[in-house]
Amino acid sequence: MAEKDLAPELTLERVNVAPAQTWNRLRTNDITLTVPARGRKGDVYFSLPRLFEGVECGMGREVTDWVESQAADARYIEIPRGEKREEPIVVAVGAGEVADTGVMVRAGAEATIVVAAGAGEKNGEAGTSASLVRIIAEADARVHLHEYVGVGAAQQHLESVGISASRDARVDVHQYLLGGGTVALGFACDLAGERARVDLGCRYHAGGTEILDINEIVRQRGRNTRSELAYNGVLEDAARKGLRTTIDLVHGAKGAQGNEAETVLVLGDDVVNKTLPTILCDEDDVAGNHGATIGSVSPEQLAFLASRGLSRTDAEQLFVRALYEDALMHAPCPEARAVVENDTKGQSLCIIEEA
Amino acid sequence: MSDERKRTQVADVDRSLYDFTKSEEGYERYDDGLTPEIVRAISAKKDEPEWMLEMRLRALDLYHARPMAPNWGPSIEGLDLDHISTYVSPKTKQAKSWDDVPEDIKDTFERLGIPEAERESLAGVGAQYDSEIVYHNMREEVAEQGVIYTTIEDALHDPKWEPVVHEYFGTLIPPTDHKFAALHYAVWSGGSFVYVPAGVTLPYPLQSYFRLNAAGAGQFEHTLIIVEPGADLHFIEGCSAPKYYEANLHAGAVELFVKDGARLRYSTIENWSKNMYNLNTKRATIGADAKMEWVSGSFGSHVSYLYPTTIMAGDRGTCEFTGITFAGATQDLDTGCKVIMNGADTTASVSTKSISKDGGVNTFRSSVVIGRHADRARCSVSCQSLMLDDISRSDTIPAMDVRNATAQVGHEATIGRISDDTVLYLMSRGCSEAEARTLVVNGFANPVSKELPMEYAVEMNNLIKLEMEGAIG
Repeated sequence: MAEKDLAPELTLERVNVAPAQTWNRLRTNDITLTVPARGRKGDVYFSLPRLFEGVECGMGREVTDWVESQAADARYIEIPRGEKREEPIVVAVGAGEVADTGVMVRAGAEATIVVAAGAGEKNGEAGTSASLVRIIAEADARVHLHEYVGVGAAQQHLESVGISASRDARVDVHQYLLGGGTVALGFACDLAGERARVDLGCRYHAGGTEILDINEIVRQRGRNTRSELAYNGVLEDAARKGLRTTIDLVHGAKGAQGNEAETVLVLGDDVVNKTLPTILCDEDDVAGNHGATIGSVSPEQLAFLASRGLSRTDAEQLFVRALYEDALMHAPCPEARAVVENDTKGQSLCIIEEA
Repeated sequence: MSDERKRTQVADVDRSLYDFTKSEEGYERYDDGLTPEIVRAISAKKDEPEWMLEMRLRALDLYHARPMAPNWGPSIEGLDLDHISTYVSPKTKQAKSWDDVPEDIKDTFERLGIPEAERESLAGVGAQYDSEIVYHNMREEVAEQGVIYTTIEDALHDPKWEPVVHEYFGTLIPPTDHKFAALHYAVWSGGSFVYVPAGVTLPYPLQSYFRLNAAGAGQFEHTLIIVEPGADLHFIEGCSAPKYYEANLHAGAVELFVKDGARLRYSTIENWSKNMYNLNTKRATIGADAKMEWVSGSFGSHVSYLYPTTIMAGDRGTCEFTGITFAGATQDLDTGCKVIMNGADTTASVSTKSISKDGGVNTFRSSVVIGRHADRARCSVSCQSLMLDDISRSDTIPAMDVRNATAQVGHEATIGRISDDTVLYLMSRGCSEAEARTLVVNGFANPVSKELPMEYAVEMNNLIKLEMEGAIG
């Protein structure tokens, strides 16, 4: 009998919880997940330095505790002060695997971190995978985070990220969520130091009966901090998506600015698209902006594409292809590229290699 | 110089306009707290049909059984129902002439400008004082068109209208909706019943004004409005109370039925005192080709939970919500709206403004739900928040749930402060800093005030001016 059949299950009831809650009847405040609870007794594993315990992670404490209890040795990487690491740090998570990673980017250092979930998987394999990545970016550090998630229709993936950014640290995040039975992603970034900045671009696609749940929190504590969050997704068939974003302009963060924008293309009659874009403001000398556009391909766009010989279906699939091609074009390592290629869902991609 | 100018400006506004009290001597006041005996006593006093008493008692059980949501909304810890009287009635009967209203109550409403407004620009007026309506009147020519504007109590005693009340009452906001909806149905008293026959257009608005004079009391009026197909009504609701150092409670309910092709504009200027817990519920359902317009100004109360809801059941319906909330010291105002779009080709537009100062907390909370059958539904939500100092707070929590591939939803929210450049420019043109800021705030609020009849826009601008007193320095 397979190990997973014997494994007891654990229900995590408060996952991806938005910092500010709203009406419970909307069922948009959080998500409940069932995960395996394999016990580990009598082993001694390497855990991250205690400094990482203070880093808030997007999926919440319950998931952090669960990953720490499930992962084998935690992986700790430190980029020395002033060093630019050319080779990306790759966290590759396969079906049923759980990874716990901590990255310390010392002052003035630069690092690229890639989380690739789903590489090498075959559809049909059930299981739960998870990745927990905590990053501490010291003053003037540069962090490039790439997250590629594309797991099978029978699989569940949990991806939780926490970043603490000090003075003048810069973080850019590229998220490509390409589907999976259930994909839950939480991202939290604490812009603690003055002029710290995060730029986040998230592109997602979900079809069939896939569930995608995203919770992203940016806490702007330092003066003149900046956050730019952009979401762009396509939902097809009977996919269900929940997106919670929070820009928290904390008291004392004078001069801070937070901007967030979302564009959702809804292509399926049975799609459920929930969005909770929150701005919390406890300071006057700040600016917070949010914009969202949710809809289908406009008649004008369709007419234009029809005049070029594309049917409605062709036109709609053009948007999906564009997303996958963008993911492939920007894949920073073979593991990330493999996630896209495994998850093209029948898309025939034609990428023009950059010179 | 600037201080002097500021004082001159503030002196223009008479603070005693709202903050005056009248003696409760001779009033009938039920014991504090909430018991089946009190509920039965209210029902018996109103000589209600049996079904209403049963509904009240069921609601009382629901109130005790339902918890408050533990994870959202401002704290209401300061509200203790054991120290709130749910029924306080002045010793008077409902009058049709202001001359028949007791002198102290008449003086109250005259200071609030209600009789004058009635003479000049209203089709009818209802005035509630604590738990009971003390004055109700409507112009003859409006009554001749078949319009009914009366109290729920009177409608329940009219064999023609009792079945109508029975059919609609508590159906749009059921007692099971939330804890304070249940409380409302247990102890409701006063309010208005309006029926506008098919095709009738009222040339002037109807207005109900609610005044809570008693300290440590609650007001639980119920407004039930039915606008038949093709009819058109503007209804204005005003409310105020003097300030006390103990909690008062307002838990009213407003149920609006707007039938096919009808239009209803529901305007509210809320200026409860800052010891008030305002836990009000308002909901409208609109038919095909119908239009619902909400205009809402929230200035008062200590804590507010207020989210007018529109259920767009028919095709091609239209909903507009225009609101402004001003939170000053000691205020935590959680306001917004809900739109549920179920009809095809429906259109909704939400535009809100909020202003926070002196430690006030503003939360804009909304939900837009577009159902599976709302083909080609269109909705736009715009929320702008202005922070006037760094001890205040403003949160924006808009939820969207879209389940139709042909729907279009747009949303935008901004939070910011008055720019120094703007203030400097206005000061270079001779304004004091206080005047400059008040000008900017008035301009910010202008899209809301222009939606109100002139008298109420003036009142709203006065309230802003009053609230802006001491905004700097």
